[in-house]
Amino acid sequence: MQRTDRASKLASPVGRVLPLVLIGLLWQAASCVGLVDPSFLPSPARIGAAAYDLLAGREIRDNIFITLWRAGLGLALGSVAGVWLGLMMARSPVFRAYAAPVVGGTYSLPKSALIPLFILWFGIGTVTTVCAVFLACLLPMVVNTAQGVTSTPRVLVWGAEAFGTKPRAMLWQVYLPHALPDIFAGLRVALGFSFVLAISSEMIASTNGIGKLIFMYGENGAYDYMFAAIACVVIVAFLADRLLLMLTEKSLRWHESARGSA
Amino acid sequence: MSSAMTAKAVSQRGLFARSLTSVLVIVAIWEAAARAGLASSLFLPPFTKVIAEWWTVCADGSLPLDLVVSLSRAAVGLCLATVIGVPLGIAMARSRFLHWLFDPVIALAFPSPKIAFLPIFILWFGIYSLSKILLVAFACVFPIVIGSFAAATSVNRVLIWSAASMGTSSAGVLFRIVLPAAWPRIFAALRVALPVSLITTFTAEMVSGGGGMGATLMYSQRFFESPTVFAYILTMLGVGLLLDFLMLKLQAASAWSQPS
Repeated sequence: MQRTDRASKLASPVGRVLPLVLIGLLWQAASCVGLVDPSFLPSPARIGAAAYDLLAGREIRDNIFITLWRAGLGLALGSVAGVWLGLMMARSPVFRAYAAPVVGGTYSLPKSALIPLFILWFGIGTVTTVCAVFLACLLPMVVNTAQGVTSTPRVLVWGAEAFGTKPRAMLWQVYLPHALPDIFAGLRVALGFSFVLAISSEMIASTNGIGKLIFMYGENGAYDYMFAAIACVVIVAFLADRLLLMLTEKSLRWHESARGSA
Repeated sequence: MSSAMTAKAVSQRGLFARSLTSVLVIVAIWEAAARAGLASSLFLPPFTKVIAEWWTVCADGSLPLDLVVSLSRAAVGLCLATVIGVPLGIAMARSRFLHWLFDPVIALAFPSPKIAFLPIFILWFGIYSLSKILLVAFACVFPIVIGSFAAATSVNRVLIWSAASMGTSSAGVLFRIVLPAAWPRIFAALRVALPVSLITTFTAEMVSGGGGMGATLMYSQRFFESPTVFAYILTMLGVGLLLDFLMLKLQAASAWSQPS
């Protein structure tokens, strides 16, 4: 018990932020003394000033919202389609036999490789990005949903059948709830993919979005702005991940996995 | 229930035949649609033309060269990430101080899209291989650290305590208890990191050029050489499948990996 006590003190919010603050101070000190060339690594103070400047203007907000919109749309479409496909694959062996080579084949393909293809088909812009994000999010959702549904214990199925649950209701009341923890796990992976794909496709070919903005700052030599924009991306991705974790915890309150962590 | 049982008994061969059918049908539709002129050959070159192009770029050595460049970047980056990530993960599980120090950094960096850091890596390490290798290592190190940390913390404490009480040195505990017990899950983390390394390499090459599969892919797209684009994508698909298959075999063959 003593162990958990000490661990909880270190795990307090202040204790967790402390190392980041220390690293920031060390970095600032190194820049002040002149250990690092400020044109290669701007000091945290300068990045902070640049970030303040950026946040005061509209440029970064607009571009982040464009990127978030693309990533969010692709993620939403990909997860809905992925859950449906995963469900079909788990419930119908015939469908699985037909779909498995397509899912398995494209699972290991880096989705960013398809961006040139989408540029050929849809030109440069939102459609290309959303398509790439959609495909990248689809596969983890399919695989996780299929796994969650397949692993439903027979006892649950038999129990529900004994109560006279109709096949369609079985889907909503037995299979999907049982798969929910796996679906959320897939969603977390897909969320990460959605950011990666949205930003890489903007870096490869786009006229706007945060990926393009970061590259533009880099090409113009505005390195403190580039670092500030990257820091914004890191923070937004971190917040999105935490938000999803909170949502997961809330939705799975009834599940046994929640009891351990609470 | 019984329908599922009989469906399972349809035999592997029946399922395999169906899988093969679906691939063949896709290829056939592709070929037919392209030949019938439903889509311009700029957008969708016929499958046979893609294969012919694949053979040409293989024969003139450009595709194998690109593949070697890309794979070696991914492999070096992945090795670097393993060499740093596995010891760090285990050390974090064994030392509370290291855990305290690194956990917030990892928690912040793990969900971030690593490709956003590419401009920094280009600024620091140039546009050639070094920046790409280090970006790959940077992208792969986080899943490896987290996986190794989880693996090392899940080692049964009774094993560690009993070894320690019988006078095993801490190095002995590390190499004879923790590593063997954690190995299957560490390997699982490496299997997760492998596609990450490939994706990061290809994407970095597509963004910043400098040779390799991704750079040639973008180059061909800019010049509307669609058969080459498709040939490269198919090659990437095959390489991804092959590597994942090899990792599975390796995982199964690895002497230490005995699922508990």
